[in-house]
Amino acid sequence: MQPYELSLTAASEAIRTRKLSPVELVDSVLDRLAKVEPQLEAYVTVTPEQARRAAREAERDVAAGRLRGPLQGIPMGLKDLIDVAGAATTASSRVRADHRADTDSTVAARLAAAGAILIGKTHTHEFAYGLTTPQTHNARDRDRVAGGSSGGSAVAVAAGTATFALGTDTGGSIRVPSALNGVVGLKPTYGLVPRHGVTSLSWSLDHVGPITRTVEDAALVLAALAGHDPRDPASLATSGDYRPGAGTDLTGLRVGVPRNYYFDHVDPEVEAAVRRAIDTLESLGARLVEVEIPMTRYIQATQWGLMVPEATAYHERTLRAVPELYQADVRILLEAGELMPAGDYVRAQRARTLMRQAWARLLDDVDVIAAPTVPVTAVKAGQDTVTWSDGTVEGVADAYVRLSAPANITGVPSLSVPVGDDTAGLPIGMQLLGRPLGEPVLLRMGHAYEQTQPARQLATV
Amino acid sequence: MSADELTPPEAARWAARAGLPLPADRHAAVAATADHIHSVVAVLRELDFGDTPPAAAYRAGEEKRDAAV
Repeated sequence: MQPYELSLTAASEAIRTRKLSPVELVDSVLDRLAKVEPQLEAYVTVTPEQARRAAREAERDVAAGRLRGPLQGIPMGLKDLIDVAGAATTASSRVRADHRADTDSTVAARLAAAGAILIGKTHTHEFAYGLTTPQTHNARDRDRVAGGSSGGSAVAVAAGTATFALGTDTGGSIRVPSALNGVVGLKPTYGLVPRHGVTSLSWSLDHVGPITRTVEDAALVLAALAGHDPRDPASLATSGDYRPGAGTDLTGLRVGVPRNYYFDHVDPEVEAAVRRAIDTLESLGARLVEVEIPMTRYIQATQWGLMVPEATAYHERTLRAVPELYQADVRILLEAGELMPAGDYVRAQRARTLMRQAWARLLDDVDVIAAPTVPVTAVKAGQDTVTWSDGTVEGVADAYVRLSAPANITGVPSLSVPVGDDTAGLPIGMQLLGRPLGEPVLLRMGHAYEQTQPARQLATV
Repeated sequence: MSADELTPPEAARWAARAGLPLPADRHAAVAATADHIHSVVAVLRELDFGDTPPAAAYRAGEEKRDAAV
């Protein structure tokens, strides 16, 4: 096994016990990147010299016994919405061609303080306003979409060109590409990870979180990211050690299995894989409880009623100054957002209040809800719609957002875990949703599930 | 087209009122997209909100201190 193939957890242990040097690890990841990045196009920019310099420094620190925790010497990618001092935050947009961040975002600063090493900035669907990331190719099949909007981050982690990465999630943008590329994605509780210095798509729906190879890896990254920052008005005064225990016993946990919504208009192979995974949770001791998802008729309306005007507001100046620099799909949404009445936005905020209350009641009865992350695996690049067996036609973006949006609207945490491949070899994801600040339960359950499965291989590219 | 859909000239006028003058070649596309968004969000009008407040809120007197990095 080459160092680039190691999980964060395994690489971290090898560095701590001096079986692996951060220099060897970073060199291995950069060699892998040189080989596969031309086919994947996951990165906007790669900074190999800085990465190698940081790796040498990390190597000296470890040799001298200056240990800084599990992320020390670990190579990572940051979605290019995340400010790193001195670098452009391009948002994968021509609008940001001359951008330069003066200071680190909170998450970049915390990862640097933890000793993680930046390999580069990864592609996003332009300004995170889309679900495919068209610049980037799926790690398993380059003719298929990467998913989005954190497509570059998920592809890099899946292909071995970053040991972990950060994404952002406004309507599924961490979980969707994670599911489509066969890696783990965690959208934390709203406010758990500060967003200061991260380009916004929609303030009331945006989250930052890790994309990793294993659930345990996600726990290690989350511990470095969580904690209060007064510069993010949603920031919570919570942090902790999220590393799940070694055991797989899930006795005492109640898993809600939705009887509506989450299994409607879902590809049969996706449904079968997720139901098999839920059966595995039951075999580990969890009790399955059928649940009814509330207010499903209003999920898309609430998501759009919040996101569309907030995104348009963020881009107000540049949409007037340089509209031609936006891609066509993003420009039209920003322009049309100008025409949404304030009443629609307030109605969406009130619907969110009702939905949060209804979900809180739902999560009184179960500890976790298990469901597909996305209803269909990675579609062909350029495919616009999905046709369901009853003849219903759904836009690809609508399909990919559909099962993710409830966690953005209500702020509950959601962890996407790979649960196998379809017959075309494309990955399938299951999401575990929990109570606000219920990350420890999600990580425990996801980790237990993973331990029952054979170790996943990297995408061969 | 239903009575509450925007015509391209109406979309242009609404955008102008919002401070976004649209070139003529964008009126039809913006009207169509705005109408689609409207059709999605209009379903919220079915809800009886009673005294439900909007979720957007803030805490007055939030403590200000430097972030822990």
